[in-house]
Amino acid sequence: MDPTNSHHRRHGAALIATLAIAASGCGGVPPAWFRPNMVESTKQRLTPAQESQVATVMLALFGTPDQPVAMPETGLDQAKLDLAAGPVHSDVTGKKNGLYREHCAHCHGVTGDGLGPTAAFLNPYPRDYRPGVFKFKSTERADKPTRDDLVRILHNGIPGTSMPSFALLSDTQVDALVEYVKYLSIRGETELNLMRAFFDLDDDAEGKLPQAREFLVDEMLTPVAEKWRAADDARIAVPEMPADIDLAASIAKGKDLFYGDKANCVKCHGVTGLGDGQANDYDDWNKAIVEIKKEVTGTAERARETKTSGMSAEALAEHRANLAWVDRFHHVLDGDAHRPRTIPPRNLRQGTYRGGRRPLDLYYRIHAGINGAPMPAAKGTIPPEDIWHIVNYVRSLPYGFDGELGADRTTTASTRDRF
Amino acid sequence: MKNLVIARIATQGVAALLLATGVVPARADEWGTITGRFVYAGSKPTAADIKADKDVEVCGKHKLVSEELTVGADGGIANVVVFVRDKDVKIHPDLAAAKGGTVTLDNKDCRFEPHVAVVQTGQSLVLRNSDTVGHNSNVATIKNSPSNSLIPAGGESKVAFTSEEAIPAQVTCNIHPWMKAWVVVRPNPYAAVSKADGTFEIKGLPAGELELQLWHEKAGYIGEIKVGGTTEKTAKGRKKVTVKAGDNAMGDITLDASLFKK
Ligand code: HEC
Ligand code: HEC
Repeated sequence: MDPTNSHHRRHGAALIATLAIAASGCGGVPPAWFRPNMVESTKQRLTPAQESQVATVMLALFGTPDQPVAMPETGLDQAKLDLAAGPVHSDVTGKKNGLYREHCAHCHGVTGDGLGPTAAFLNPYPRDYRPGVFKFKSTERADKPTRDDLVRILHNGIPGTSMPSFALLSDTQVDALVEYVKYLSIRGETELNLMRAFFDLDDDAEGKLPQAREFLVDEMLTPVAEKWRAADDARIAVPEMPADIDLAASIAKGKDLFYGDKANCVKCHGVTGLGDGQANDYDDWNKAIVEIKKEVTGTAERARETKTSGMSAEALAEHRANLAWVDRFHHVLDGDAHRPRTIPPRNLRQGTYRGGRRPLDLYYRIHAGINGAPMPAAKGTIPPEDIWHIVNYVRSLPYGFDGELGADRTTTASTRDRF
Repeated sequence: MKNLVIARIATQGVAALLLATGVVPARADEWGTITGRFVYAGSKPTAADIKADKDVEVCGKHKLVSEELTVGADGGIANVVVFVRDKDVKIHPDLAAAKGGTVTLDNKDCRFEPHVAVVQTGQSLVLRNSDTVGHNSNVATIKNSPSNSLIPAGGESKVAFTSEEAIPAQVTCNIHPWMKAWVVVRPNPYAAVSKADGTFEIKGLPAGELELQLWHEKAGYIGEIKVGGTTEKTAKGRKKVTVKAGDNAMGDITLDASLFKK
């Protein structure tokens, strides 16, 4: 977020100018602006002209943090957005506005990029809504959460993480915040689509995106909004847990499955259930940064080994462009990305479940896996009844443990760190 | 007589239009095959050994090496992806008839086989597990819904693709993190992956101008190639070719070692 570094002077100047003009009029207070997705922009090697093309389109489609726009195609409710958006203030009737910036932005960032001022100190990091991926929900793995899923998250918070409960807010306020999360997410995913679209352009497009509404709205925005609309139809069908189930027998069956080769939970959650199996993996947000860092390091190494003597003017220009790109990326990674952190499989002996502790919540987690995280879906492999047995075993784990405690210590490097 | 004149004018009109837009029409019965071989310029890299530290009893039995960059004894580069970029390319009737069906990506000996799988939109990818240990297959597509299913020993799972992917998608196993593969999703049958000796072949192409796109997991879209001794910039991996009816041998396509430093 350092506006003084050279990269942002070069690449951000045009954007800030555009946005400042658009959002001015809030006498004295500098207008809030949505931060462009600098990591993606740099990854796609967008030129300053292309960056401002994206910014201009984004402004037209979504407005600003103080004046958000609910295009009909988004299916969003303007009144709800207005309640959640803007700086914290009360209107003439005493109704409080600016809820998102009051309650959420210091963690999730004004843009919903998970880069709020507190975020770097938290583990796990607050969700970056822009890729449109959510972890704890009642829908099939790759589908969006339902409105109810998001309301539940706001009521309960995410236990075991810094994400607090907002149960004290009124239903209207929670509803407005949920709408605003959807808005930021649709916005972020549309921006990603736009930034990625440059790569596909034909040479004769001269690096410019088509200006037609059919492209900008119908191809870039509408498909994202459609996925949100489809969430209610993507709910996981959960058969009732068999009523006459013998709990002890069910737990025993679940245990066999947990350790067996079909469900394979043990491989990640460990023989002891402490989450100390395959524990050095990343979730999608962190993995993206790990991969980009590899690319930047590789390009830097390649540039360093390049002999510039006798190079053609063209080759020299490319070499310089590579060096500049590496330099630019280092700045962007400093200000616009978190230091990657691994996501250890959950310690199942603590009884803390981030996505909720109802048996139904655990059923969802096991059926669909955890979207954006390494945990795979059991759907299709494990029949529903067996999923219920595993749920029962998982729920028994915090109370008693009769696994082979300490038997497999080959991958437990940092077990202690988690207590 | 009158009709004939009209017919002649109409034909000339069409010809003029074609000339003006620079489109060379492919005669319906003219189809060509492109072949070539990717060759590594530089000292042959050695693939790093992989130490299987999960399911050692099973995975430890196999000699596993990194497949990120596989260069054969005579310099051939395996797993370079070549496909036709043109959106509205004409499809050979035999290939059109063969559309549908499935492509298999097997979890075998604690690696994926093949390392790069090509599917057409409308086809499904069968994720199979021929091993005696359980795997999962995390398919990181962008346009198609990503998926990550458990695949038990001896089991399989199916993934359908409806949209093409601008960039090949990575497939990983989260239980055995060294396992990596790629899936290329194209809207037409014109895609190939170079074999262990670096050679590839795309059959049944309509004669005329086409744009190929070249990709490799370490190099990304390949920005520079050397064909017949001439170095050529291929921005975003794009390379225009003119396909003649019959064989079109591109010969050796040399890729400099520096392209793979990523
Ligand atoms: C103190 C920091 C903090 C604050 C304040 C905060 N969050 Fe979060 N939030 C988090 C963290 C951390 C996560 C990620 C937890 C995880 O990945 O397990 C998260 C995750 C989420 C998710 C994703 C849930 C999912 O299924 O993926 C949503 C939605 C969310 N927060 C909404 C909000 C809203 C709306 C507000 C304001 C009303 C808010 N958060 C305030 C830290 C915070
Ligand atoms: C490939 C590794 C892997 C496998 C296999 C796996 N998990 Fe997980 N599991 C994880 C990771 C990683 C997390 C934490 C994800 C997160 O918080 O983003 C997790 C989280 C969980 C949670 C916590 C959910 C919550 O709300 O906090 C439960 C319960 C769970 N797994 C159960 C299981 C069961 C049961 C199986 C077998 C059917 C299983 N897991 C298989 C990696 C795995």
